[in-house]
Amino acid sequence: MEKISVIIDGKVFEAEKDTCVLEVARRNGIYIPSLCYHGEVPSSGGSCRVCLVEAHQGGRMRLVTACNYPVRQGLEVKTDTPLVQRIRRGILELLLARVPNSEVIREMAAKEGVTEARFRKDEGESERYKCIACGLCTHVCAEVVGVHAIAMVGRGADKKPATPYDKPSDVCIGCGACAYACPTGAIQLKEKDGIRRIWHKDFEMVRCSVCGVPYIPKAQVDWIVKRTGKDRSFFDRCPDHR
Amino acid sequence: MTQELSKFDRIIERYERSEESLLAILQDYQREFQYVPEEGMRRLSEVMGVPLSKLYAMATFYKALSLVPRGRHTIKVCTGTACHLKGAPQILETLERELRVKRNGTTEDGEFTLECVNCVGACAMAPVILVDEVYHGQNRPSKVMDIIKKQVGS
Repeated sequence: MEKISVIIDGKVFEAEKDTCVLEVARRNGIYIPSLCYHGEVPSSGGSCRVCLVEAHQGGRMRLVTACNYPVRQGLEVKTDTPLVQRIRRGILELLLARVPNSEVIREMAAKEGVTEARFRKDEGESERYKCIACGLCTHVCAEVVGVHAIAMVGRGADKKPATPYDKPSDVCIGCGACAYACPTGAIQLKEKDGIRRIWHKDFEMVRCSVCGVPYIPKAQVDWIVKRTGKDRSFFDRCPDHR
Repeated sequence: MTQELSKFDRIIERYERSEESLLAILQDYQREFQYVPEEGMRRLSEVMGVPLSKLYAMATFYKALSLVPRGRHTIKVCTGTACHLKGAPQILETLERELRVKRNGTTEDGEFTLECVNCVGACAMAPVILVDEVYHGQNRPSKVMDIIKKQVGS
């Protein structure tokens, strides 16, 4: 891979060509707020807009999303100019109006000095109102897990991640990767008496033969065995007792 | 059930087995059944090997596709700026009352679906309604039901 040097906030960093700005910044300890991007999920990013930064290149400046803007030789990035701060506050204010119940958004907004949104707040049940419709959960389900149980449904302000017809999905394995990846903790995953409930579906959990803790849905074991040919007995014990 | 499935298969067969065909097939469902049936979606997913979640995302994205059965006749009330000023809200209220249906809903007898649309590009005729794609302009609440009855003949 071709090495190039890029300037972020006045400092020069070496990086592989076409790595995204956000990755380079993160590796070098420069903070850029981000929500919808996950380094392990190929098509994540680009939707929440909080990572907007100034990209100076060839004498021109553009505001770009750091999570999907590739670094090239001669690129200079500024992550904290008055313009970036103003735009970022605007975006966080909109997000705050959309999901006033989300602690993550409230905290991120407070960090930029935004504590109250001037816009009309969305109100309703707390589960739906933490979702910023970034789509990361659906990308994780499709690209990392590979089951395509959920997708973004509807359009505009009503867009949300959901299973087809909001019914229990035939293909969901209850792995909870969507809930784990969700940047705002909007996906409900409940566990009680060895049963996990997610996306309106109940999953029987396999208990660890040593500690007795229910730690993985049976459907997920089936999926992994089917996909990788791994021996089923491997899952008799939880990761702590293998 | 087999017969049910074959009516979907007949539509699916008209197209190549590729992702580009999906939307065209859903449109054909819509044309044939006045909506996109769930069993048809499941069958399409099975035949094409495309996740149902992906089809559902498509079907809910496009306004031209409906997931619930629609009426034999569709009435579209334009609520664009010009029509709004010329009294579209009153037209809409009249239709809701007379047909006993809410906007974007279908009458109990399955005869009419009432929809709001944002602009049909005929502002000079405001307020405009469309009955099964036929334009009617210069509407008044007192006349609108007669216009519809005259066209659909009931």
